[in-house]
Amino acid sequence: MENNVLNRYVDELATRVNGVVEESFGVLMLKVQAPYIIEALTGAKNFPDVPCDFLHDLCGMDYGDHFEVVYQLSSLHGPQRLRVKASIDRENPVVDSATRIWEGANFLEREAYDMFGIIFKGHPNLKRIYMWDDFEGHPLRKDYVTEPIEVRNVVRKRKEGE
Amino acid sequence: MDVASEKRLREEEALIEKNVLVTTIDKALNWARGHSFWPVTLGLACCAIEMMATGGPRYDISRFGYEVFRASPRQADVMIVAGTCTRKMAPLLRRIYDQMPEPKWVIAMGSCANAGGPFVDSYSMLAGVDKILPVDVYIPGCPPRPESLIYGLLQLQYKVSNPAKVRLMRHGK
Repeated sequence: MENNVLNRYVDELATRVNGVVEESFGVLMLKVQAPYIIEALTGAKNFPDVPCDFLHDLCGMDYGDHFEVVYQLSSLHGPQRLRVKASIDRENPVVDSATRIWEGANFLEREAYDMFGIIFKGHPNLKRIYMWDDFEGHPLRKDYVTEPIEVRNVVRKRKEGE
Repeated sequence: MDVASEKRLREEEALIEKNVLVTTIDKALNWARGHSFWPVTLGLACCAIEMMATGGPRYDISRFGYEVFRASPRQADVMIVAGTCTRKMAPLLRRIYDQMPEPKWVIAMGSCANAGGPFVDSYSMLAGVDKILPVDVYIPGCPPRPESLIYGLLQLQYKVSNPAKVRLMRHGK
């Protein structure tokens, strides 16, 4: 029953944000284009009765022709789960930051930026989180080529204050 | 000289022969160093679990006198690099090594520390800590069992106690 209520709200939201609703392994999936993502997330957070108000995880994906950012939403008040996917242009990977909605998206978005080079507009501190600051490229992109071992074995110098 | 004092001197001489050992300072120091390493606690990945098991009661590294794992590099003289060293970690590893007082030794524990291990083709991997540190003993394994670590430490003990012999072995003599 819970799922039916959620289903209805997600369908309503999808029509508002030009999204597509799918279901995969019992989890509803809402696919939207990048410009609508904030509206979709805010809508999902404010569902009456079944709010998906907890950002479980956020990660980037590379499909070869476009990027996706996947938001896993759930709630501390119920069993409802929702997966929101934002499709992003590969040439110009810009999407609005979710840090205004969930403060916890901060580090997750930094990870997606580090690994895929997706730029989150409005992020308070968008810099690399895993790799060092002068690392070149974004290693989890499909077209990333790992440097040869001779280059990788050259050890970088320690910077002041590191 | 009267007979009594001569007898006393003879007795003292015999006593000295029994109880005094003549050696060089170097040898004595190396003996002491080799039998009581103070490793710096440097667990980078899963090999650290095996290192902890070695320190635990079942394998009991303290049988050999190596149980004093120090949290500060300034109090340690052997560095057991246990685990994967990434390129981001490399400068920090070097810094910890630099902070250790002389004389100091390095043990590379596990495939990752030896040569990069299964992650050698990864974008973030340093292929072996011997790129940044002078490694004395390599312990193969993924991860090495505690027995291997103890054997490696004993090899290092041999190296420290017999520096000349090891130098000759190294040059194939």
